[in-house]
Amino acid sequence: MKIIREPVFAGIDVGSLTAKAVLVDKGGILSHAIIDTGANPEKAGKTVFDKALGKAGYRREEVRQIVGTGYGRVSLSFVDKAITELTCHAKGVRYLNRGIMTVIDIGGQDSKVIRLNRDGSMADFAMNDRCAAGTGRFLEVMARALEVGLEELGRISLRSRKPSLINSMCTVFAESEVISLLASGEEKEDVAAGLHLGIAKRVGNLAKRLGIKERVGFVGGVAKNKGLRDALESFLGIGFAPIVEDPQITGALGAAVLASETHG
Amino acid sequence: MELKQDKTIGEVRTDVALDIEIAKEKGAKVVGCLCSYFPQEMVLASGAISVGLCGTTEERIELAEEILPADQCPMVKATYGRAISGTCLLFPLADCIVGETTCDGRKKMYELMSREKPMHVMELPQMPDEKEALVHWTAEVRKLKSFIEYHVGEEITDKGLRNAIKQINEERRLLKEIHRCRRYHPVPIMGLDLVGLSTMFSYSVNREIYRKQLTMLLEELKQRIAREEFACSPERPRILWTGLGNSLGCDKVLRLVEECGGVVVCQEGCGGITRIEDMVDEEKDPLEAIAERYLRVTCSCMTPNTRRFEDIDRLISEYSIQGVIDLTWQSCHTFNIESYRVGELVKGKYGLPFLHVVTDFSQSDIGQLRVRVEGFLEQITLGNKDASHKCLQC
Repeated sequence: MKIIREPVFAGIDVGSLTAKAVLVDKGGILSHAIIDTGANPEKAGKTVFDKALGKAGYRREEVRQIVGTGYGRVSLSFVDKAITELTCHAKGVRYLNRGIMTVIDIGGQDSKVIRLNRDGSMADFAMNDRCAAGTGRFLEVMARALEVGLEELGRISLRSRKPSLINSMCTVFAESEVISLLASGEEKEDVAAGLHLGIAKRVGNLAKRLGIKERVGFVGGVAKNKGLRDALESFLGIGFAPIVEDPQITGALGAAVLASETHG
Repeated sequence: MELKQDKTIGEVRTDVALDIEIAKEKGAKVVGCLCSYFPQEMVLASGAISVGLCGTTEERIELAEEILPADQCPMVKATYGRAISGTCLLFPLADCIVGETTCDGRKKMYELMSREKPMHVMELPQMPDEKEALVHWTAEVRKLKSFIEYHVGEEITDKGLRNAIKQINEERRLLKEIHRCRRYHPVPIMGLDLVGLSTMFSYSVNREIYRKQLTMLLEELKQRIAREEFACSPERPRILWTGLGNSLGCDKVLRLVEECGGVVVCQEGCGGITRIEDMVDEEKDPLEAIAERYLRVTCSCMTPNTRRFEDIDRLISEYSIQGVIDLTWQSCHTFNIESYRVGELVKGKYGLPFLHVVTDFSQSDIGQLRVRVEGFLEQITLGNKDASHKCLQC
């Protein structure tokens, strides 16, 4: 007996640090996968796509339409269309929570603030793509300086009573500042909390400059960091809207949703 | 006529350098100029040749940074680099150079550049609507006249000035007509091609040839419109360019916009229509008329720079604009701050997507810029469904 399945659509988001894939059909999300991008974005895109296919039990040929996004979108030869992560995050977040009007995305190498129109399309955006300050890469370097895992960074910072003052948000200078703070006896949790405050201020000001409209969704790999999330909420004086899925996959999810829409 | 121009700015400059050398052998004098505030009529009336010496490419910036701080405007650094490199073909041909006190970076750099050549700096008043401004600027134009007379060795007469005004106004009229052909939808010429062609033509030594080239281009555009032969599909978002970065050599973002699926249909500011459509009054005293015309140039060094906003406002409707890009060179404080008000006008009054790009002449940020430009174009093509596009017939 042959089972007739709904048409399937895929979104592949190849970022600077991680590659994400999401499969959807008209009923919702079928599967998702996340891997490290490594040095070859095309290969990472294919691998993460296959991984998501495997989880959902589909073959490549069964996917009706694929949209690529993320900085690696231009290197993906197997996608039907490339759309920027700005539009994709807007779409993905809206798919998960219809009340969201502003998206803050902190990824591996940049941070973005996106304001949405009522129909879920992008109204305006602001980006910090000049340097690694406040990005996933920045947090990786700081976690290493603190000798903790990246996931631990958020958790330990929540214990802090007296966040350290970090003067520089430049990845290079902040790293040496962290090392000297530790040498002068500051607690790891205080240094971690201080780093989060610094990032919150930087990204928060980018958002304020663009203008925030509630509700606000916080996404990207860095949104998994609870310490930073709290710091950003308190800097902006708001609570983020709940997002039921992993915040790291909203770009790939938006790409998959766009794939299903462009297909009609 | 082919509406493409494949020469780089370096090749264009090499060609004109040869023409200038030939003219100099026959006794011609050459005045180097650096800005839209420079009254070209003065040079034409003296019988000399004027040549633009602004730096628009990155290759000589490294050399300039041995003397100038690195965190300066790329145009200031590239211009100084051309002056001291010894490899610019045009700079050595200038008998003298004229600059203006438009911004701090330029005026302090000119102090150093004046070591290389006889140089005159015009003091530009920066509150153009005050009545004293024109009085002062007219005096500056008069001082310029003496400087050019001295270095060219010819007297500048009123008759000569009137003749020069007529000639340059005629060039402006042709250019204005060329630019206005882009009001049609779709456009008969891509933005990048017009930038390439008009930059190349503007380097002509012989103004009669220049006018002929402009006339030919205008005729070609009119014919293409009549034949409904357009440069691109009607789907491409129509972009208004404002600020800087729309001349051959420093056109990397403009190129990116058209590579990513947009089309630049109008440019405001230097290199654009607003520097062309404003004529010098042919009835008034020539020197005073020249002073009035050049004080109306809308650089962000002016405060308040009211006319720039009026221009952008008008051009958005005239050219059926769907999105506006404002380009600022790094460390250009005035254009950088003024961009906030441009954004207010574009987003507030028209509800159009607006992108402010701050960059330099290098290719190092091209990946990040691509995300911004594509995102901006997606705002037009994927969003904003209610804003229907009006086809303009002129």
